[in-house]
Amino acid sequence: MKRRLFGLIFLLGIFFGCKEKPAPTPAASAGPGPSGSGAPTADKPKPGKELNLFAWSEYVPQEVIDGFSKETGIKVNYETYASNEEMLSKLLAGGTNYDLIQPSEYVIEALVKQKKLAPIDWSLVPNFKNIDPKLKGLAHDPENKYSVPWMTGTVGIVVNTDKIKDPIKGYKDVFQKKYKGRIVSLNDSREMVAWALEASGLKSNDITPENLAKVKPMLAEWVKLVKVFDSDSPKTAFLNGDVDIGVVWSGEAALLYQNNKKFSYILPEEGAHLFIDSLAIPDSAPNKVGAMMFMDYILRPEVSKLVSEKFPYTNPNLEARKLLTPDQLANPASYPPAGERETFRDIGKIASEVDKLVTDLKASN
Amino acid sequence: MTPTAGLPDTRGAERAPGLRGWLLMAPLLAWLGAFVIAPTLIMLVYSFCDRDELGQVVFTFSWSNYTRVFDPTYLKILLKSVYYAAITTAICLVVGYPVAYWVGRAPERVRNKLLALIMIPFWTSFLIRTYAWMTILKSEGPLNSLLLYLGMISTPLDILYTPTAVVIGLVYSYLPFMILPIYGSVEKLDNALVEAAFDLGAGPVRAFASVIAPLTRPGIVAGVMLVFIPAIGMFAITDLMGGARVPMIGNVIQNQFGQARDWPFGAALGMTVLLLFAATFWLTTKKDPSAT
Amino acid sequence: MSTDAKEVMVEVRRVTKTFDEFTAVSDVSLEIRAGEFITLLGPSGCGKTTLLRMISGFETPTQGQIFIAGQDVTHDPPYRRDANQVFQSYALFPHMTVKENIGFGLRMKKVPKSEAQERVREAIAMVSLGGMEDRKPSQLSGGQRQRVALARAIVCRPKVLLLDEPLSALDAKLRHAMQVELKHLQQKLGITFVFVTHDQEEALTMSDRIAVINQGKVEQLGDATAIYHQPKTTFVANFIGQANILEGRVVSRAGRKVTLRLEGGPEVTLLADDLPDDATTAMISVRPEKILIRKQREESDNVFEAEIAEEIFKGATDQLMLRTPGGLELWAVVANESARQATVHKGDKVFCHLHFDDIVVVQGN
Repeated sequence: MKRRLFGLIFLLGIFFGCKEKPAPTPAASAGPGPSGSGAPTADKPKPGKELNLFAWSEYVPQEVIDGFSKETGIKVNYETYASNEEMLSKLLAGGTNYDLIQPSEYVIEALVKQKKLAPIDWSLVPNFKNIDPKLKGLAHDPENKYSVPWMTGTVGIVVNTDKIKDPIKGYKDVFQKKYKGRIVSLNDSREMVAWALEASGLKSNDITPENLAKVKPMLAEWVKLVKVFDSDSPKTAFLNGDVDIGVVWSGEAALLYQNNKKFSYILPEEGAHLFIDSLAIPDSAPNKVGAMMFMDYILRPEVSKLVSEKFPYTNPNLEARKLLTPDQLANPASYPPAGERETFRDIGKIASEVDKLVTDLKASN
Repeated sequence: MTPTAGLPDTRGAERAPGLRGWLLMAPLLAWLGAFVIAPTLIMLVYSFCDRDELGQVVFTFSWSNYTRVFDPTYLKILLKSVYYAAITTAICLVVGYPVAYWVGRAPERVRNKLLALIMIPFWTSFLIRTYAWMTILKSEGPLNSLLLYLGMISTPLDILYTPTAVVIGLVYSYLPFMILPIYGSVEKLDNALVEAAFDLGAGPVRAFASVIAPLTRPGIVAGVMLVFIPAIGMFAITDLMGGARVPMIGNVIQNQFGQARDWPFGAALGMTVLLLFAATFWLTTKKDPSAT
Repeated sequence: MSTDAKEVMVEVRRVTKTFDEFTAVSDVSLEIRAGEFITLLGPSGCGKTTLLRMISGFETPTQGQIFIAGQDVTHDPPYRRDANQVFQSYALFPHMTVKENIGFGLRMKKVPKSEAQERVREAIAMVSLGGMEDRKPSQLSGGQRQRVALARAIVCRPKVLLLDEPLSALDAKLRHAMQVELKHLQQKLGITFVFVTHDQEEALTMSDRIAVINQGKVEQLGDATAIYHQPKTTFVANFIGQANILEGRVVSRAGRKVTLRLEGGPEVTLLADDLPDDATTAMISVRPEKILIRKQREESDNVFEAEIAEEIFKGATDQLMLRTPGGLELWAVVANESARQATVHKGDKVFCHLHFDDIVVVQGN
């Protein structure tokens, strides 16, 4: 999930005025009404001719898009974004009528609150049955009305076991003085605050001014120890030999493990959290039927497997998992042991305080 | 009252531009309006607004974004940005001036080739060049390997993800912006003036200080502005080569429009920096005595 | 300041300068005496400026040496040579006032301030620029800039002043005035002047000696009258003033007295000192104004008949084209002494009279 990197490219694109936009889709009149969830009918509703997919960069393999177009004749315009927030602002600005977006769980929660998502007609998405039941009915979409999980993952610790022999169990073992200058961290204020909260015995979503004040001294220490903050490609620092330990996305950790087994992945004992990136349909989408057909398409085990092979996060599609090789399934970063894990919730305006806290600590570094 | 009243544009030079003048300027004005003035006005409006839960801009008037700008956290970052930008500018000047001078004095047929060499890096994406630098500077990269091989160091130098790396990246990125305007001034510099200085007893240093530098001042000023101002706002290099450890004001602003989802505050920061630039510009151009 | 004619101020010893393939100056030796006004005269591209620039130090000879006041300065930079130059373009510093320009050299030489001020004041007075002290060069006329350039150089009291076509940018009238002024200034200061020009009249007006330069070589060195009356080569004869260059066969020879039969013309007798004994042909130069034209034959060293084939009115003089019965054509110049006096006209048969002394044997180029 090269989120930040593509954020940079996006912003540079703005500065140099070279951001391309797919042409707006002609109104797909064949789509169902604004309610979007036309009751299952005998005559199948027809999809529009084009599908505007707005998704993370480096997250949807081209062969999946090509396969879908070939089968359905629907042309897919794949526009990418670098962060949930970027997606939100473009979606809410209303420039293009996106048919399908790929937000993370806390953004789905916020969008549902604001009534910005169209409910899914499950009769058009029968393959939803392949999804791990444990990922259904979660807090951000308790009634399974709006989202289809794409990939899930954890945030955890990677250790270069050639260099570090001490047992590493949790965040507190990572952020030690003796590893100063050998640590990589995600460059993500919300994540860092969550780790500090978990390391202090609090819940990752318990973000209140009091709790922020409580974890501030700990975070201040941590920030001083870190060599690189990188959300785009934290694996690079490991591969370059610039760091030996760090807290990264599980997908990155999985790729490191594939590269060399010396990179072991550890879920922090203080509590690990889960992120779920899902597909959802904005209520303004002109081609809702096409969007649902796409959802169903990617839920096919053989298609979902393609995604997994390219981006080894945790595949929520149980049927697809059966098609993976034992090696892929044995990757501890992709498929860590089961356990109770929290997901991020929408925290509203206090996000600014989170950001300020981390910026402040970095600046006084 | 004159018989030539029917031909107003023949006397247009010292007066307000005539219709033809406006027509000629129209594309530029349209460009400025659409891509400079309008976005700036939008930012100005945003900077007094508020944000809602989703991060959408809410149009209510408030000064709070500006009071937050003057929070010590952000002031400290701004100062640090100015500091790094100043170091970058100084290095660019010291490194770039001799290059520009040398190219500007080279025979014409060589000159264009040398200029092309300076421009060639622009043919590649900025990010790719930055990644190339990261590869060069990393612990197990070619630079360290070379130095180790030559026995000049015994353990790899820690350059990548340090402020040194940031300055290297900034200097690399902005050096051409220093070289080109200085080159423009040097090329216009009459060689006879340099010779006259030598002839009158000035050694290289004093010829430079008393004749060459003052006469290429416009290029130096332009180069300094072209490097200093964008260097303050640069965020990509700080993120990539500095490991995002030391935020610069550009990173903070970028973050407001991205992860932090606080456009109004980002806009307020941006407007403040813009004002700062305008003030710097005004100061440097006002004190130009060599304007003859 | 010594004006001893014997003292050599600048010596150019066997100097050659090549640029890539092109030889600008070829094995030139030249002794310039202290206090003299020497002019390097030649067409553009002849190497005179290169020679000057090697004396000032802006070019280094490819071979040979340069001495100033007995010191080998061949490899000294300009700022260590006791010579100053006045540039063709004046090269005034645009960012300095007249006073600052003139004082520049003294500042560089660290002359004490009070003395420098005094000397600048003197120099300004000498070139009559009083009242202009605080102007910038852009506020001066061409003549005034010329004077500033001059003052800036002489204020340093160099042993040698090098002038590179300093008058070429001025209009004719101003140029004449400046020629006289420069000559006076030189006499007053006693500084050695090395003056480069392509203007033969300028050279004749001002110089003590003239070095005529052609294709990187000194063709002839001598005072103005010698250069004019006894040109050694056809190039010198042609470049300075006008000349009839005629070729003839040696008919008889008695000591210095040589008789030539000119091609398609009469026989002429002349006094030749440098004609080799075994020469069978010779080239001669005859100045047009040296041919005495009369309607009657008069007593002279040489007399021959001719017809006036062309007559060109030139104001003070008439230019006549003479054609001998054998078809030899040559130019003559007669003074328009009085409009009322009957003179010769086109079509007249006349007698041409030539003294031995006025026929000069020249070498072909």
